[in-house]
Amino acid sequence: MKRLSRMMMLFGLLGCVSVTALRAQDKCLSCHEATIGGQAVALFKRDIHHAKGISCAGCHGGDSKTEEMDQAMNAKAGYIGVPKGDEISKACASCHANAEKMKSFGSNLPTNQFQNLQESVHGKLSTSGKERIVQCTTCHNSHGIVSVHNASSPVFALNIVKTCTKCHADASFMRMYNPSLPVDQLDKYRTSVHGIRNAKGDVKVAECASCHGSHDIRNAKDTKSNVYATNVPSTCARCHSNSDYMKEYRIPTDQFDKFSNSVHGVALLKKHDLGAPACNSCHGNHAATPPGISSVSKVCGTCHALNADLFSTSPHKKAFDDRKLPECETCHSNHEIIIATDKLIGVTSEAVCSRCHGEAQNSKGYAAAKAMRSLIDSLENSEKKATELVNEAEQKGMEISEAKYKLRDAHQARLESRTMVHAFNEGRFRDVASKGVAVSATVSEEATKALDEYVFRRLGLGIATLAITILAISLYIFIRRIERRQSRGTQ
Amino acid sequence: MKTVWSKTYNWINERVELDGLVEFMGKKYVPVNSHSIWYYFGGVSLFLFIIQVVTGILLLLYYKGGEALAFESIQFIMSKVQFGWLIRSIHSWAANLFILTAMIHMFSVYFGKAYRKPREITWVTGMIMFFLALGFGFSGYLLPWNELAFFATKVGTDIAGVVPVVGKPIMEFLRGGEDVTGATLSRFFGFHVAVLPGIFTVFLGIHLLLVQRQGMSEPVSYADEGAKERKTMPFFPNFLLRDMLLWLIVLNLLAILAVFFPWELGKKADLFASAPAGIKPEWYFLFMFQTLKYIPGRVLVIDGEVLGILVFGLGGLLWLLVPFWDRKSSRGERNRFINYAGLGIVFYIIVLTIVGWIV
Repeated sequence: MKRLSRMMMLFGLLGCVSVTALRAQDKCLSCHEATIGGQAVALFKRDIHHAKGISCAGCHGGDSKTEEMDQAMNAKAGYIGVPKGDEISKACASCHANAEKMKSFGSNLPTNQFQNLQESVHGKLSTSGKERIVQCTTCHNSHGIVSVHNASSPVFALNIVKTCTKCHADASFMRMYNPSLPVDQLDKYRTSVHGIRNAKGDVKVAECASCHGSHDIRNAKDTKSNVYATNVPSTCARCHSNSDYMKEYRIPTDQFDKFSNSVHGVALLKKHDLGAPACNSCHGNHAATPPGISSVSKVCGTCHALNADLFSTSPHKKAFDDRKLPECETCHSNHEIIIATDKLIGVTSEAVCSRCHGEAQNSKGYAAAKAMRSLIDSLENSEKKATELVNEAEQKGMEISEAKYKLRDAHQARLESRTMVHAFNEGRFRDVASKGVAVSATVSEEATKALDEYVFRRLGLGIATLAITILAISLYIFIRRIERRQSRGTQ
Repeated sequence: MKTVWSKTYNWINERVELDGLVEFMGKKYVPVNSHSIWYYFGGVSLFLFIIQVVTGILLLLYYKGGEALAFESIQFIMSKVQFGWLIRSIHSWAANLFILTAMIHMFSVYFGKAYRKPREITWVTGMIMFFLALGFGFSGYLLPWNELAFFATKVGTDIAGVVPVVGKPIMEFLRGGEDVTGATLSRFFGFHVAVLPGIFTVFLGIHLLLVQRQGMSEPVSYADEGAKERKTMPFFPNFLLRDMLLWLIVLNLLAILAVFFPWELGKKADLFASAPAGIKPEWYFLFMFQTLKYIPGRVLVIDGEVLGILVFGLGGLLWLLVPFWDRKSSRGERNRFINYAGLGIVFYIIVLTIVGWIV
């Protein structure tokens, strides 16, 4: 073991010696430092590439070992000068896309950045049509490139937001590529928990690249994008479901699991319904909660508008506010919202009303909840009965399309009643439910008539067949009689 | 009772000389042989046509032509009008049975060579009526303005449009424009209830008149038999009463079909919807439809579909004119070619119809 560590130290020493030797051979740097000086030289001396022994010629070409300018900056020696356009990224990729070369520098960086960049939204052609929109140097700078973990790097967690917004907050620049894309993401981000903590120096919270990716950024409408609607929950879950990572924040890490089983999660992740909400629909994208919404619990109303309106005028509004209870969440939960069935209302053990309304205390609410449940059950039963009768009549070949059409009204009344529940007003609820019960009764009556008609038709056919058979037999006997008379006549 | 009947008869007889007609019918005899059963199919076809006229008139009392009302009016007839369901189902079933019995009648006449001299005109009028019956079927199929009817009419008129030179104008005339629309429905309604019945009645009159005037055709083999072996029965009342007995059975069959298999209405036609899978024409067009599917897209220099239509057109013409080119049968000689060709055609129609139905 001792021998092994000694050998490693020896190799490390040899490596340092060889890198120092290489740096000493970089005549470009020594010459430019002595003659021109300037920012490029100063920055390059701090550059990770310089530290790794890569000379200026590594990117600019030429011969870095000679002091003769004509020879060093000769095209025959591979000198290309300052790379322009796509040549920049190609120069970087000559090493960064080559696993062998990267290994020789002791790097374990991935080697697919260049390919990812080309396939990303930034890899599209710029307005000039000659080069891609973004080159490596756009984000990493050209001279003075340091590790992403170095606080001076433009892509360091605390700096990246500024780096991205160099373009993304520039309305005139963004208009050239995507006029519909907002340019206020940074302002919004700074209002979010992520943004606030990031500004305070927390490198663990999400910044632009955490969600959008770095080299492989795609349009949010691209199904491969990390922020495509169906991918958002798993993108958020990369951190929020990691209990070790989230330990210091002291927030639950089961949101993703709960969401996946919720009505929203099933719709989004299993049925791929893009209209269903993802994490950002309630918690906001860059900002904390969607703009104009004071609390996450109010977000439900942006989609469930009628329910929210009814609730805001209901007696529960004040009661919830007084007790500082969140609105929708109190009954429906937040991440694990299950399909709201009729069982939620009433005074049974499954019902949410009974959590607050006991028979002894809050007896008025208890009675109202009980009555509303009874009404919604009648509505369901009457619709079920009507549907069964219509299906039976239809299956028996009866023309029942009008009644079937009316059945939609009964179903609609049931849906309306589920919305009207949120008014928590027995009278209003009764009006809607009674309308549905009345429609179901009419449909049942029509379907029953059709079924009676079905029996009548068969009975009628039986009588008609009997009458026709008697007539046919009589006719046959009559013919036979005539023919017998005719044959007697001819004899 | 008898006096009332006699008085009525005499009253009419004095004015229109009924005696002559009764005497004529009394002297009219129908040959009795092993093929006599086929004689009844003409009568059954006539009965079904009468059913069509009666039920059609009843449907007219409630049917409303037009894109917006046609489907709804049939729906109304089926669900609200007393016995409307029965009338509509009988009309639809009788239409199909009418084509079937007319087809059997046509083939029985063909195989019995009953078209031979002097009954060439009877055959031609019968054939024209058969073509008109197909027209009745095609035009009536669209009238409920449902999805299947709409697309079947689209396909059917598309095929008509393929015919060289005259095809496109015919298609536009039938459709009342470039596409199948409400204008097509109005046109088909007009054809179905006015144009076709008018023409059909004229040919039916001639056909029945000729049948009464010339009597039933006797089989070719009758000529070889002696007068004693030739069995006959009086047309009136024997044959007519037997005919009526069969009509009663057919009427009962129609009632059974209407009750147990009421004719479905389907979904209302939507001009902008895509065609549902497996659109097929009515069964009597199926063999032609299936044939057109099997013909390659291009045969030598001719378009496959055009070739198919031309072959069917030519075949129909030869069929119509069979009494004029089958001289052997007219001379009382046996013509085996006619039998083999007929059998081949029947076999082809049955097989292709079954294949078209299954595929």
